[in-house]
Amino acid sequence: MTAFEVNGRKVDLEVDPRESLLAVLQDRLHLYGTKKGCDHGQCGACTVHLDGRRVVSCLTLASQVEGREVRTIEGVAGEDGTLHPLQRAFIDNDAMQCGYCTPGQIMSGLACIAEGHTGDDDEIREYMSGNLCRCGAYVGIVAAIRQVAGPAEA
Amino acid sequence: MSTAPARVDARAKVTGALRYGADRAPESVAYAAFAVATIARGRITGVDTEAALNLPGVRLVITRFDPDELTSPGFIMTGGYGFQSLQPLLDDRIAYRGQPIALVVADTPLAATEAAELITAAYEPEPAAFTLDAPGAETLVQAQAIPIPMFADTAVGDADAAFAAAPVQVDVEVSGPNQHQVPMELIGGVVEWHGDTLVVHEGTQNSGAVQNGLARQLGISPDRVQVISPSVGGGFGQKNSLQPHIGPLAIAARRLGRPVKLVLTRPQTFHQASFRPASRQRVRLGADSSGRLVAAIHEIDQQTSRHDLFPAMYTEVSSRFYGIGAFRGLQRLVRTDVQTPGYMRAPFEHIAAYAMESAVDEIAYATGRDPVELRLANDTAVDPVSGLPFSSRHVAECLRRGAERFGWAERSPRPRSMRGPDGTLIGWGVAIGAYPGSAAAAIARMSAHDTGTVEVAVAGHEMGQGIRTAIARLVADDLGIEIAAVKVGVGDTRSAPQHLTAGSWGTATALPAVHAALRDRLGVPRTGPVDMRAAVAATGGSRIEIEATSVARGQPADVVVDRLRKGLLAIAGPEYPEFVTFSHIAHFVEVRIEAATGRVRVPRVVSVADCGRVASPVTAASQVRGGVIWGIGATLREQSLVDPRYGGFLNPTMEEYPIPVSADVHRIDVDFIDEPDLLLNPVGVKGLGEVCMVGVSAAIGNALFHATGARFRRLPVRIEDVLPHL
Ligand code: FES
Ligand code: FES
Repeated sequence: MTAFEVNGRKVDLEVDPRESLLAVLQDRLHLYGTKKGCDHGQCGACTVHLDGRRVVSCLTLASQVEGREVRTIEGVAGEDGTLHPLQRAFIDNDAMQCGYCTPGQIMSGLACIAEGHTGDDDEIREYMSGNLCRCGAYVGIVAAIRQVAGPAEA
Repeated sequence: MSTAPARVDARAKVTGALRYGADRAPESVAYAAFAVATIARGRITGVDTEAALNLPGVRLVITRFDPDELTSPGFIMTGGYGFQSLQPLLDDRIAYRGQPIALVVADTPLAATEAAELITAAYEPEPAAFTLDAPGAETLVQAQAIPIPMFADTAVGDADAAFAAAPVQVDVEVSGPNQHQVPMELIGGVVEWHGDTLVVHEGTQNSGAVQNGLARQLGISPDRVQVISPSVGGGFGQKNSLQPHIGPLAIAARRLGRPVKLVLTRPQTFHQASFRPASRQRVRLGADSSGRLVAAIHEIDQQTSRHDLFPAMYTEVSSRFYGIGAFRGLQRLVRTDVQTPGYMRAPFEHIAAYAMESAVDEIAYATGRDPVELRLANDTAVDPVSGLPFSSRHVAECLRRGAERFGWAERSPRPRSMRGPDGTLIGWGVAIGAYPGSAAAAIARMSAHDTGTVEVAVAGHEMGQGIRTAIARLVADDLGIEIAAVKVGVGDTRSAPQHLTAGSWGTATALPAVHAALRDRLGVPRTGPVDMRAAVAATGGSRIEIEATSVARGQPADVVVDRLRKGLLAIAGPEYPEFVTFSHIAHFVEVRIEAATGRVRVPRVVSVADCGRVASPVTAASQVRGGVIWGIGATLREQSLVDPRYGGFLNPTMEEYPIPVSADVHRIDVDFIDEPDLLLNPVGVKGLGEVCMVGVSAAIGNALFHATGARFRRLPVRIEDVLPHL
């Protein structure tokens, strides 16, 4: 059995040693906010936080997260449904079209801010370039992160 | 007006609550995976499935379906429903590399994947052709191969004579690469039987074709098929028809008595679905010495598959860019051994614009005229092909406003004359784009409840363009009710017949009719806000249901509505009885080329679009930025590399097929003319999602010329192409 926490909730599951965290989140825990765009660590759609750091869940084996804390997009808003300021900023800046990449963008965006990679917009672009968006919502995504991170450094 | 968010589904998107096709795993679901062909053409002589069948958890391995169990869905462009006519697993023929040779169904995705990899086959290969010039590729003249008026070659006046006599001539040949749509949502879904009814959850732009195509394939009535696709994670043309995996899944689900789920791998989406065909575009353009365009000849070779003729429609748009009195088009199809290519955002217009607008730029340089001024001088209010007026055409205003916003007046015209302080080469380029204004028949259903809620169901698929929001807004504004009181159902065959959603706003046009019918039934005036709660209660019931049908101008109502109900294309345009409709755009682009490395950047784009009334400015601007980014990718990055020896595509992953990333995207200023086109439809909207990409490549190409003095004929333009010209 593999025991870990997802969004503060304890889970204890029998996992196949080959099973990815992404597969477990989706079809075993029915947390479909985490998306699959490639299953090869190339698109960022499956980004979650593992002990506070961003990882691509498709390349993270479920068996590796034993005893660790996973946070997914479902764990970002408050218990009462209050949106996180970055979620709000994504709406304010229309930082989405089809929305498929959006959960991964928000998880990466939160990490990008926490890591301090928001000095100027080019830095945001650089540190968000692991999250692809085929609809091309990049301008809004950078603006949303900027809004929450505060003004660019002079 | 309501102060609702720009998108009605924004909250669901930022919280991860929105469900896409494959976001489900019903009780007892089984998982499917395909084993695929490793040759590009020939015959299968045997498939070894033993190892797969012996794997724990494997429930089914199917290498062949009986003809009475599964048939071809037919090709979408010839009255069928499939992206191609070829349905894999029906016989021993292999027509392209990556074609499925076996379907595996197992208890877990891992078992299914492992089993599929254990399947091997023996083949009798045959010689195959993959590129336009390969030996064995067969070239057909489209007008003869597909003798249907809409695919005929455009011809106005005597273009060859006018070209020969023109004092200024340019001759441009451009090659357009294979590209793939690469929507972020993979292709796949969940299929299950509820008694005799087949329920399909799959991201598609055309749930009506999926419904009716499956009915045809399985020999059942379309009312026994429900297709549910309320949210699509991007389609861009790749999801615009029935995919060949769904029929096999339905049979597997019936045999096992379990729901079956399949999500193609990313490499499989490059080989088992449509893509942008390779093409070669030759444009000859003649002008008088003042730069007035007098003749254009546009000849195209476009790739198709061996089993289907994917019709080329490049000259429909290239003949209308300017008021050129003499035009001749020639479209040829080249049969190669691939799955059938298809629509990818701005399927013909993007590359046609690259060829035409590069040629126009050359005329500007040859005649010493400013590229914007030359374009303005060749604008037209009348369609040169039909002689009909455009329902609306604001190309000149797009150019003027764009030039102003961009600061075009500051441009130094001579190539290589603008440099940054560090030696960076700077180029400024302009191009226009156009996209046909189509309209589709639509049936809208509306129910008004005494709670004040209005439910509306209509054909349409939400792929990120904001259709759900646009409909909610139109209904709320028109009936004078809160946007939150409007529930919109799209992409669901249970609630209204579903038509292909692609570059058309046909759907919105059904709404005024249904509003009028609802008002009449409620006995309230034809205009002004409606107190829905009171009006419904006054009828004595708790709900009122209304259905209204609308067709495009000149469409024969009975014929197109019947086609719509059968899931067939029911589109009109761009030529209507009294006018011709196109959306238009002008793009202004700055490129910067690093002097040492040749790396090209696009720091600044200004795009001004003429898409009729702008229903939702915020989502419309997002859509244009997306189209511009697609243009940047198509010009500087994207190419599906063909393996000329073995077929297939060599870079079918998101790492090796480089779609633009955040670091590639800088300032994109968007503006709209925002003049309703009330001839096309009562809402006044024209399409936007496709036209916004058209002309971006050409503007970048023209900027690259301005920066380097060199013309780049092959897309994408790579560093190694640019380096010799620094
Ligand atoms: S699905 Fe994990 S990075 Fe693409
Ligand atoms: S919003 Fe569609 S992929 Fe990013």
